Amino acid sequence: MNDASSPVAAVGVARVPAIGVAAVDPANLAVPEPAPMSEPAPMLQPAPMSTSRAARVRRPPRLQRQIELTVFAITGLLVLALGTLVAVGGAGERWSLPNAGWVEPCVHGACLEVGMAAAPGGPTRVQIPSIKVDSLLEPLHRDANGVLQAPVAFLRAGWYAEGVVPGDPGPAVIAGHVDSLDGPAVFAKLHELRAGDTVVVVRGSEPVTFQVTATGRYPKNQFPTDQVYGPTPGAELRLITCGGAFDEARGSYHDNVVVYAVAVSD
Amino acid sequence: MTHPHSERVSPTVPIGRRVAAIATAVLVGAGLSLLAAAPAQGAGVGYVRLAHLSPDSPEVDVYLDPTGPNKPNFKSKVFGGVGYGVVSAYQIVPVGSYLVSMRPKGAPPNTPTTLTATVNVLAGKAYTVAGVGKNVDLGLRVLVDDLSRPQSGKAKVRIIQASGIAPLLDISLPNGTPIAVGVAFATTTAYQQVAPGTWSLQLKPAGSGTASTVNTTLDSGDVYSLIVLDDANGRLKAEVRVDARGGSSVPVEGVGTGGGGLRSSNPLAMIGIGVAMAAALGLLSVRLFRLSRRRS
Repeated sequence: MNDASSPVAAVGVARVPAIGVAAVDPANLAVPEPAPMSEPAPMLQPAPMSTSRAARVRRPPRLQRQIELTVFAITGLLVLALGTLVAVGGAGERWSLPNAGWVEPCVHGACLEVGMAAAPGGPTRVQIPSIKVDSLLEPLHRDANGVLQAPVAFLRAGWYAEGVVPGDPGPAVIAGHVDSLDGPAVFAKLHELRAGDTVVVVRGSEPVTFQVTATGRYPKNQFPTDQVYGPTPGAELRLITCGGAFDEARGSYHDNVVVYAVAVSD
Repeated sequence: MTHPHSERVSPTVPIGRRVAAIATAVLVGAGLSLLAAAPAQGAGVGYVRLAHLSPDSPEVDVYLDPTGPNKPNFKSKVFGGVGYGVVSAYQIVPVGSYLVSMRPKGAPPNTPTTLTATVNVLAGKAYTVAGVGKNVDLGLRVLVDDLSRPQSGKAKVRIIQASGIAPLLDISLPNGTPIAVGVAFATTTAYQQVAPGTWSLQLKPAGSGTASTVNTTLDSGDVYSLIVLDDANGRLKAEVRVDARGGSSVPVEGVGTGGGGLRSSNPLAMIGIGVAMAAALGLLSVRLFRLSRRRS
């Protein structure tokens, strides 16, 4: 309480008029299930000519071969083009869709219970084995405008020290640079994380293990504050870095990459 | 052949069309891939918890089972011997559909269920599936727990009214200021934005009865449920549950976490794509041109 002497004055709720509204709404039961996956649409099929090919003997074999070679070559080049796009996008640009699925959350036969107690003290280290990250953590704060400040060091991540401590209930936030002016920084490969990957935050001498559940990339002017910082029942973690196109005029990347994770007890 | 006419089509048309059609298909496919690669959003998880809020109902075993296409994603879970007033911890579950069912305590899993309800879990959302009402009209209800961020500097709290001795419940501050009036048994209020701090609340059945006092501290940015129950002595009692924590200081906007040192590879990628696309189109037109000349 900011002013314990006047709790009444602080009441923002004169009444709770929504009382009696049966929040127990049976309509919730009727949420339709997602439609079953339909058969994949058939690929564009050539006209049914295979059986009739013998009847059309006028096509010279050489022409036929040329056509096939042409199609083959075009397909190959387009595949090459797509491959270039996907593979050579650069750290900020490179981004493929996250896994649609979810890794079995019942680790070691027991489902995850939320709200586990964490060791006291702030976090000192973040480790992400799948992208070979092992970084000390510096505390991060907001500037005068309320914007979270990035870590001072490009090769070291930071945790939002005015928010939730990783391992405590709620969404803890760790941010790190994707690159410096010269090359890769601590979270250069953050976009490679997928559901099921493990993130460990060392707090005191105790590791707190998180499992990635989802990833996202958002324009910075449409940053999903509610989704990233909104209250959660259990201990969760968000890892944030930059991504997308580089805005030369502003000297910054257009997007933020966010990795969502939940604490697992094991 | 059963359709001789269809075979007399001149080969030039289908061949040209075939090439064009395949090329078009590949180009369209490429376009779709480009579109699909732009946004990114994970499947994620949601939260489900279970509650027994029926004052005169015996203990039950509660089952949480994935249903439909969600079956492979989650291992069924059983909560044994759940009695009145018990609210489980939130379970983290993959998004998808779940069947919650109740059986009498100790009944084998293959016996008929007493009650069932389906909950469709969306990413980041939370649900409380509760047995509510008196035993004679016991029902399983799915409450959507709105854990969205409270307004800046506020906490959120709601009342879950599960006291059978108070068909209608009044809640007020010690000085008589009403907080909630006439909350019906087996209902839940919407979450209300309230000032954080330590609160002393007077609970009593509407119109009569003795007030019970509950003291609770609500923190800014957090979300709470005040669960009102009967105690063993026929009086009201209340438990305050932390539904979710968010912290009081939320930054605005995103984070500036890049120097741009890796950006140089982007133009290279675009050039590579451009060259390959141009080459493909050039080859396509040359081949089509030659094909048409060959046949004319």
